[in-house]
Amino acid sequence: MARTARGIEIEGTVVECLRNATFKVELQNGHKVLAHISGKIRKNYIKILPYDRVLVELSPYDLTRGRIIFRYRT
Amino acid sequence: MNSVHFSSGTGEHAVVITRVAEQQWHAVENGQVVGRGDASRRPDGRLFISIDSWHDTVFDQLATAMLADLPRPLYTVVDEADLDLTSSWERAGFEARRREWEYLVPTDPRVTGLDSVQPPSGVTTVPAGEAQEVPLRALDRAIRDEVEAAVGWQAMPAEVLPRPDGTTLLDPSKYAVAAQSDHYVGLVRVSPITRQPRIGLIAVRADRHRRGVARALLAHALGSLHRSGTATAWAEVNESNAAAVALFEGVGAQRVSSNLELVHR
Repeated sequence: MARTARGIEIEGTVVECLRNATFKVELQNGHKVLAHISGKIRKNYIKILPYDRVLVELSPYDLTRGRIIFRYRT
Repeated sequence: MNSVHFSSGTGEHAVVITRVAEQQWHAVENGQVVGRGDASRRPDGRLFISIDSWHDTVFDQLATAMLADLPRPLYTVVDEADLDLTSSWERAGFEARRREWEYLVPTDPRVTGLDSVQPPSGVTTVPAGEAQEVPLRALDRAIRDEVEAAVGWQAMPAEVLPRPDGTTLLDPSKYAVAAQSDHYVGLVRVSPITRQPRIGLIAVRADRHRRGVARALLAHALGSLHRSGTATAWAEVNESNAAAVALFEGVGAQRVSSNLELVHR
């Protein structure tokens, strides 16, 4: 986990694609969060699938919520 | 860089919107970045923006600041299933311009019905990696000129737009082509994304339309994926492209989601 200028960032793995453009992501620490994808990922048509390894920025207001800001190459 | 100050935040602190770079905006509340805006110009010259925030209030403040700073028209892309984000953009004055269906495409010939499909008489299929680069680039240029003269490339997905240096065909090894006599008349590109390959582009010369060339190319691409053990691929199709919609739905492709391109004029 890293606290950066963007906030708290942590790696995780997408375990499920939910409705409403939301993903369930299991973080390195074992916690699961609900995450949307960032605008940059959406703008670049980057497809997020189950088992993708991703970088998640956690909400400072609710640590069970996050935003996928990067998808690692597999 | 110019700053825009707002007195109302999500809590007791004010939110300050600052243009921190030519194409970046930050919303800061109590010393913490609580929202970001980004602008980027596509190769076709259109300006696309995105906003990430944790609260509608911050989204609206970032949108106001960015709209004040940037020229029109502005574009953005949303997943149509993301109702909250879509309504946020609509609140900022954006409206739908085009819709792109995302299809899950089966590869099994018993499902697609493509097992007996052959190219039209006189046409052969050249597998990916075996096409000659020079005639392939010539075909790519010819098809793009034809599309530009018809619907225009602004109706196409970002990935098929030309790069600033004019390059459009980045990796010739990903293309299978349909050949007739001594030249190429159609192409299909499959991006080998590890777990779910993508049919990135399928196109045929205008004077060879409605002869089954595209269907044969799709049969070839899906058959190759099936033989390599891949059960499904995915593809994005502009809803106004009736021929492409019919082609994919005709092989049993299922619509799984859709992207909306929004515009603020």
